[in-house]
Amino acid sequence: MTGLESELRNLASAIDFPEPPDIASNIHVGVPGPRQAAWGRRIALAVAIGGIAIGAGFAVPQARSAILRIFGVGAVKIEFVDRLPETQPVTRLRLGAPIDPADAPFLLLQSRLLGDPDGVFRRGDVISLLYGTPERVRLLVTEIADSDFTPEVGKKLASMGTHVEFVPIRGSVGPGVWIEGRPHAVRLPGGPARLATNTLIWTHGPITLRLEGAESLQEAVAIAESLG
Amino acid sequence: MGRPLDDGELVTRAQQGDVAAYEELVRMHQATAFRTAYLLAGSTADAEEAAHDAFLKAFHALRRFRRGTPFRPWLLAIVANEARNRRRSAGRRHALALRAAREIRPGDAAPSPEAAVLSRERQDLVLAAVNRLSEEHRLVVACRYFLDLSEAETASVLGIRTGTVKSRLSRALEHLREEVPRA
Repeated sequence: MTGLESELRNLASAIDFPEPPDIASNIHVGVPGPRQAAWGRRIALAVAIGGIAIGAGFAVPQARSAILRIFGVGAVKIEFVDRLPETQPVTRLRLGAPIDPADAPFLLLQSRLLGDPDGVFRRGDVISLLYGTPERVRLLVTEIADSDFTPEVGKKLASMGTHVEFVPIRGSVGPGVWIEGRPHAVRLPGGPARLATNTLIWTHGPITLRLEGAESLQEAVAIAESLG
Repeated sequence: MGRPLDDGELVTRAQQGDVAAYEELVRMHQATAFRTAYLLAGSTADAEEAAHDAFLKAFHALRRFRRGTPFRPWLLAIVANEARNRRRSAGRRHALALRAAREIRPGDAAPSPEAAVLSRERQDLVLAAVNRLSEEHRLVVACRYFLDLSEAETASVLGIRTGTVKSRLSRALEHLREEVPRA
């Protein structure tokens, strides 16, 4: 090694790199199932949890808050942050273009308990099954399928005061995640942001699902297990 | 207490669903992953997010990982991709200028005041010359000497062949020798 190379190596310890975050203590990954490797691209899904009324949306501020903890569930990443995004009110859900379920890019899972949805919408590869109307949502099932394996991990941003629980879901590769407490907001890729209520996120084969609006964990799990 | 598991053993376990084994892999590589992301993304916040996302993606992609091949170059390729995407999204065109830390780090031997000044001046001189290199030369120098990556890892991070790493490094060192007088 030449003198210059030695100098460069010695310089390494003097470089002002920021302190690396403790990722290992804050990252929580699900257990990969046998089919997961063949799954496709993860669609970005961003959710924020905050103390704001349902029906509002949010704008992510330029200055980001610190990430305190991260969970990965299927296509969704849930981030706990010390500061929630700023929000602005909206009055109507914008879920994408209405479609016939038969035109969905993958075979949709439908609930035996809920029956046919009142509307099916598509925004990119994210499909929303709406029960109620865009103005008065009763229940919303979001289905996200993978198409290749360069996942775009989705995001949820949650405050530490929010209750999060891992729950077993029959038919799900790993545990589902139940997020309860304060209303939270969801943002689909390329779409506007909005707030949401209690949410269950789980996986079913190659599809990541998100159920919003169930009144209790028991009801959410029953609906989740009725999807097939 | 048994011997610590190496990357290959941890990867095998993680592929079988051992989340603790994967967390150990994260622990072992998080500092290098973060610094690599910082170098490429150009901001601490983006580097943090890129490293987090890369570890999540790598976990989901583990079953595609070929056993018997080294884990770190594969992981760092994912990290680099995440970091570049963030830099692109942020519209950040200019490369990060590396700086020398001024505070004494724990464990550093305290030099005499004269030696410290001389040493700092020399560091500043070399670092300024590195920062004046073209981005492709600066990155190859930073990967090899500041992050202590192997040629194969540098190639993965920069998305080039190991032969190109060697030739770029050689040219970068030539430039530096022209700019920096011998110590």
